[in-house]
Amino acid sequence: MKNKVLNIILLMGIILFSACELNEEPYGFYSEDNFYKSAADAEAAITYAYDALTFLEYSRGVYILGDLSTDECFPKTDQAGDQQDINNWKVANFTTNRGLMNYFKYAYIAINRSNAVLENITQANFDENQKNIFMGEAYFLRAWNYFNLVKNFGLVPVHKSLVKTLDQTAAPMAENLDEIYNLIFSDCKKAIELLEINQRTGRADKVAAQSLAAKAYLHIASSKSANAPLYSDMGKDIEIMYDSAAYFADQVINNQSLYGFQDDLLDIFDVENPKGSEHIFLMSMDRSGTIEGDYSKISKLFIPYIAGGDIFLDNGDGTYTKSHDGWSVYQTKESFYEKFEGADKRGNLLLVDKVYDAQGNVISQYPGGLPYRFSRKYVDPLFEADKTSTKPFLIRFSDIALIYAEAVGPTAEAYEIVNFIRSRAGVGNLPPDLGLNSFRERVWEERGLELMYEGNRLYDLRRFNRVSELVEEASGLSDQETLFYPIPKVEIDLNQGL
Amino acid sequence: MKIICLTGFPDRETKKKWGRIMRLTLFLMVGFLLTASASSYSQNTRLNIKLKNGTVTELMKYVEDNSEFVFLYKNEDLDLEKKVDVELENATIQQVLDAGFKGQNVGWDVYDRQIVIHKADRLLLPGQAAQQQRTVTGVVTDQSGLPLPGVTVVVTGTTTGTVTNADGNFSLALPDGAETLQFSFVGMKTQDLSINGRTTFTIVMEEETIGIEEVVAIGYGTQRRSDITGSVTKVTSKEIQEIPSNSVESILQGRAAGLQVITSSQEPGASSIVRIRGNSSLRASNSPLIVVDGFPLGDAGNLKQINPADIESVEILKDASSSAIYGSRGANGVIIVTTRKAKTGKTTISVMQQTTLSQFTSELNLWRDPVLMAQLNNESRRNGGFDPLYVGAVSPAGTYYPSVEELLNNEWPHNTRWDDIVFRELPISNNTTLKISSSNEKTSFNLSGNYFTDKGVYIEDDYSKLNYKLDVSHNIYENLKITFSNILTSGIRNSNGGLAYWRNPIWPVYDENGDYFLTSNNDFGHPVAITDNQLNKSKTLDVLSYIDIEYSILPNLVLTSRMNYKYGNSISDQYSPKKYTQTGTFNNGHGSINNWAGNVFVSETFVNYSKLFRNVHSLNAMAGYSYQTDKTRTSYLGAVDFVNEALRNENLATGNPESFQISNGLSQTELVSGYFRLNYSYNNKYLLTFTSRADGSSKFGENNKWAYFPSGAISWKVHEEDFIQQLNIFDELKLRASYGISGQQGISPYQTLSRYGTSKYFNNGNWVTSIGPGLEVGRTGQDGIEVLWGGIPNPDLKWETTAQLDLGLDFSVFNDRLNIIFDYYEKLTNDLLQERILPPSSGYDRMWVNNGSIENKGIELTINSGIIHSKDFQFNTSLIYYRNRNKVTSLGNVEESGLQTDPNTGMLFTPYGNSIEMFREFPNLLAVGQPVNVFYGYVTDGIVQTLEEGVGAGLEGDFALPGEFKYVDINNDGYVDDNDRTIIGNPNPDFMASLNLNVVYKKFDITAFFNGVFGNDVLNMKSFDQPSNQPLRWTPDNPTNDYPSLKGGRQTKFSDWWLEDGSFVRIQNLNLGYTTDIASNISGRLFLNASNLYTFTKFDGYDPEVGTNGRYGGGYPRIRRLTLGLNLTF
Repeated sequence: MKNKVLNIILLMGIILFSACELNEEPYGFYSEDNFYKSAADAEAAITYAYDALTFLEYSRGVYILGDLSTDECFPKTDQAGDQQDINNWKVANFTTNRGLMNYFKYAYIAINRSNAVLENITQANFDENQKNIFMGEAYFLRAWNYFNLVKNFGLVPVHKSLVKTLDQTAAPMAENLDEIYNLIFSDCKKAIELLEINQRTGRADKVAAQSLAAKAYLHIASSKSANAPLYSDMGKDIEIMYDSAAYFADQVINNQSLYGFQDDLLDIFDVENPKGSEHIFLMSMDRSGTIEGDYSKISKLFIPYIAGGDIFLDNGDGTYTKSHDGWSVYQTKESFYEKFEGADKRGNLLLVDKVYDAQGNVISQYPGGLPYRFSRKYVDPLFEADKTSTKPFLIRFSDIALIYAEAVGPTAEAYEIVNFIRSRAGVGNLPPDLGLNSFRERVWEERGLELMYEGNRLYDLRRFNRVSELVEEASGLSDQETLFYPIPKVEIDLNQGL
Repeated sequence: MKIICLTGFPDRETKKKWGRIMRLTLFLMVGFLLTASASSYSQNTRLNIKLKNGTVTELMKYVEDNSEFVFLYKNEDLDLEKKVDVELENATIQQVLDAGFKGQNVGWDVYDRQIVIHKADRLLLPGQAAQQQRTVTGVVTDQSGLPLPGVTVVVTGTTTGTVTNADGNFSLALPDGAETLQFSFVGMKTQDLSINGRTTFTIVMEEETIGIEEVVAIGYGTQRRSDITGSVTKVTSKEIQEIPSNSVESILQGRAAGLQVITSSQEPGASSIVRIRGNSSLRASNSPLIVVDGFPLGDAGNLKQINPADIESVEILKDASSSAIYGSRGANGVIIVTTRKAKTGKTTISVMQQTTLSQFTSELNLWRDPVLMAQLNNESRRNGGFDPLYVGAVSPAGTYYPSVEELLNNEWPHNTRWDDIVFRELPISNNTTLKISSSNEKTSFNLSGNYFTDKGVYIEDDYSKLNYKLDVSHNIYENLKITFSNILTSGIRNSNGGLAYWRNPIWPVYDENGDYFLTSNNDFGHPVAITDNQLNKSKTLDVLSYIDIEYSILPNLVLTSRMNYKYGNSISDQYSPKKYTQTGTFNNGHGSINNWAGNVFVSETFVNYSKLFRNVHSLNAMAGYSYQTDKTRTSYLGAVDFVNEALRNENLATGNPESFQISNGLSQTELVSGYFRLNYSYNNKYLLTFTSRADGSSKFGENNKWAYFPSGAISWKVHEEDFIQQLNIFDELKLRASYGISGQQGISPYQTLSRYGTSKYFNNGNWVTSIGPGLEVGRTGQDGIEVLWGGIPNPDLKWETTAQLDLGLDFSVFNDRLNIIFDYYEKLTNDLLQERILPPSSGYDRMWVNNGSIENKGIELTINSGIIHSKDFQFNTSLIYYRNRNKVTSLGNVEESGLQTDPNTGMLFTPYGNSIEMFREFPNLLAVGQPVNVFYGYVTDGIVQTLEEGVGAGLEGDFALPGEFKYVDINNDGYVDDNDRTIIGNPNPDFMASLNLNVVYKKFDITAFFNGVFGNDVLNMKSFDQPSNQPLRWTPDNPTNDYPSLKGGRQTKFSDWWLEDGSFVRIQNLNLGYTTDIASNISGRLFLNASNLYTFTKFDGYDPEVGTNGRYGGGYPRIRRLTLGLNLTF
């Protein structure tokens, strides 16, 4: 008996000695070991890349970088310093600006996730046609995000493959803009080849890829015409660039029937109709989400604070649209409002100067209780507290139509496009017989009014090299300072490839 | 006359309790001439006695009453009534005894203060004894005189031994050369008795905790207090057992030098922050390891599984030599909790009942005058460019605010005292413990049950706990003992804290329809509505269990093998209703069930070997092996958008099926260790300890799984040296020095592996799961809205290592009346576990690396003194002083760690902790060369009085207006901007001190415990946001320099204006007790205990005891607890 007990003790010790492995078996995590095996995996992988766009650091960046920096608006006085600095063009602080850094970072997060798809799903075993769609989307997303980078930061580091280890975090800076744009065009072309025309909210299709190509070509063409730094060094011919922009925009306008103009202004911005024909590429958010990014608070940024109550907006036809109030973040400059002709619905309907209660009584108006005229492009009448389905309009048909008009110049078709957009807004036609330059000038002005608060204004100002001229806060700054945000300091400090 | 049986320790230095000096004074008064020294009392003591026709009893009583001598004898050996005449002057004790026992057939041995009387025929010369085989017999009792079975009696240095029988008797044949006998018993002090020719022994075993010669748990074994080479503080249960508390840690506050315990939360069942010798880690855990009865449980802070009444002692291992035996988990120090075991042969039943009343220690700072509140609010809004609210109109949000005039003319019917509604008037909590213990020579058992309730100050904010503990041990053979211990704890927490007692007094509780009065649909602060409708309850179940097998292969070689198992489970039920709560309103009702289950299994096997060679070389070696695995499973079920709220979270499936929230997780770690300790002493003067442990952890990178933690200590008992003994000053004088390395592995598992992230994407109208590279590993920015991405592997990740030097001095003088323990330490922690920053173009933000170092240096001083010690009156004091200086010495690579540079000093820093909304800044820093958590911000110089003054000071825009904070242009560049920020404060205390005063007068005792923290700065976010100080605002008519104007929407910069001295001295505990024997077999104790009786501080908020980052955000006053307790022992 006694020996038995002792043996048990000894045995116990031996068993326990052999119990040690120290290897970790990760539980509940996917990794390259157990993923990218099937079509369902590929679908999950590509939506992960799209998902990067929705994080508020990137989705709010659409407006922080694209609108807040321009002549459209200014932030409320106690908004975070980073956004004050962007509005005030405090370029000395830009290398450490968190808003800029986050935008930069998320572009690469989306690129890395796109690279993961491109690198891994070719080996997976499933239907080639399905695979082509995913690959096409990944190419589109990579191009989309590099275009976001190049139009904001100019020369940036280039990652063409998935980052898996510390060593791979090093990436060299692009030699010149051609290198980045060539990658964008190459990716766009592959995407156009691989994709079909298929409108799915939150996903890109062939038309989106064509639109992106048109935007990128026009950006080069006009930037080089305006003698913008770096662009003037590009080995690309201005006319070929305009022609290419016109070609791809023409494909969008005339070579498909799914997308087109919507006739009513307010319908375009109806949050319940994301499949309106204007919407070539929409960021996907829904009020049923659980974290910001899955749902949106973008409306909050535009609408003023009205003491936490519900408000109603006059639709101009005797009906009212319900909304929550907001945080008064992006406050329209009165000088911008004055660009609109009096009858322009984009100025007097889409910019709101009166809010009502449920019975149609005015609660507050501008000037007075409302601190500014606010944009109602982002209003969700079915909001659930702070959660809305309002989403950035990333590629809108009217944008591409105006690109076409600008690229081809004063043709009859171009006139027709611009005049349609104007008449939809309730204003008269452009003067006929404009010369090329004055026509482009008028189209450019039209873009400013039509695409107000859609994250476009800065890039239109930049490619005409007019930031310092038209943005009061940027006056006196050099072209280099106004046309490119600097690469974030943290990137310069840590990227071993630079 | 009752037989007095005491025993001495002839082979050791003399040990006494404090306070004897008082008796020495008394001797002088009665005419004794005394030249006593500690170690030669009997030789040096001189007595004057005049006894005419007295009895032997009277003589002995006289000697005992008037000296420190005590007699040990058996009634049958002595003729106690024999008449004696003794008249001596300046006589030695030998002369007194010669005279007093003349004619009796007895001999005596004097062992220092003990005089053992025995029959004369047993007195043998040592030389004769050694030459013949003898049998000795004896009886062993406890202090109350009851026989003690199961006591091990061993001839020291041999394997010969026996155990006492049921009557406490033993008989043992002595081998040749036997010199001493060792008596040992669990829970009792081991005694060595010189045989010295005697054949019968009467031994009284003493409980371990009494006196200085106590035994201290040191991890995988125990050691005599006097043999400790490292820095270990022992806190006995006596000091803490009458303070009602849920967990052990909170009552350790102020009890040990080097230990910092912060109880900033006063919620029922709240945990504490525990630090030993400062913060030594930046991103990993700073909590000490807590070990209960040899079971390493994990981070200290919330040891709710142990009923404080079950605790025998708590040891705090501070230096590397002590803590390195716990290797990779020792860097933050170790707290060893030892629970009570059965002690005596008699069955003991004890009942402890405590009833506690809670009340605030100070008044609430609330608006009682709505007129003033409305006036100031209007003023604030007007100054900020907003329309005033109190104008007798419906606000844009749809709520009618009365005008100031209406309020002034009493036309407004409501002035609600929300605090009366939100707080309980006098919460009564309960703590009942019932204990039964018994033991015989083979088996002992100890059963303890506890019911603990803690009623929070908020209505329906409660915690209750049931706890059982059962220990059984059985000696299967003389040398094989099995112990089983099981602790079960079940707790229920109903959370209803944080209710808005500060709600605007002009709002009624109910509207005219009897519904809750809400100011708008977004009014989420109605305390009664929340209390009535919200569900927030959690239940916990914890099991701690172990089996321990102790096998004495040889009397001096003991093998211990044990298996520890810990299981913990918690289920939280929550429901936020559609109305009244933000979460509920935003989600149209939100319900959830949160499950957590943790398992820890530890297997340890170790051997202890001890031997005394040639009477001077004492060796004690321990070697062992352990395997530990921790496994935690979690699952979360959430649903929103409920059709019908009646079931709350009881049927989550009735929520919107498209919005179910489900998550689950598992984390598992393994730790494999081998350890070794050697204690050697030469001649009981020179002590040496060497410790080492090798740890392998699954948490670390494949290239760095194993680490080795060595440490060593030396100690010199100077008082054992003849030349010191001749000085007759020191009762103890011991020098200690130790150095060693311990580790820290307190990060989450799987950090070294490649992990993908998952998300939900709204794909063409439906939510789909998306997966890919990039895993959310944290959040940053204002309110944590920015995600940090990780998931990139680091195969080189390893431990943090802390190297620590400790120099210590223990000394006692004046017959141990004054006892001082002093320690100086230096701790340097390297390879700090941190997350490095990755270039944003990589698509990741963070990766765990080892980077940076931090230093802690400090002084610990404990002064114990027994000022008065007589039979009826005792007065003891204990003063603890502890000072730690913490400094970040490196934060690693500037770029990789994302360090910023102070433009004026070049100091490298990075924000630490969250930003604060009201400043939109990060007030706390990690800065190289500075303590952790220093405050960084602007310096102010009063308030701007005129625009000229403001502009002249370099302020721009609104900041230059009169009534604004006058920020100082510290770099004198003409304007105030970000570059004018500097270090403005330090939340770490300069030092901490505590004082314990204990007076015992006959059956009464009083203990007062003061605890103080000195020299720390506290960021008081409520400095200007309180009804008490808002009226003191700057106005053109009151051009004060103390407060700014009231101005809604002010952009406030973080400045020194918000910092206050957080020093305080608290009467933390006052205990009045009365102990008496109710009947011959019932002893009782009645006591009244007050916790947090009063706090002396200049701090302006409710209480300055806040977290380690020094931020005070309001809350409610400190709670004073008055406890009435009764202990009965049968």
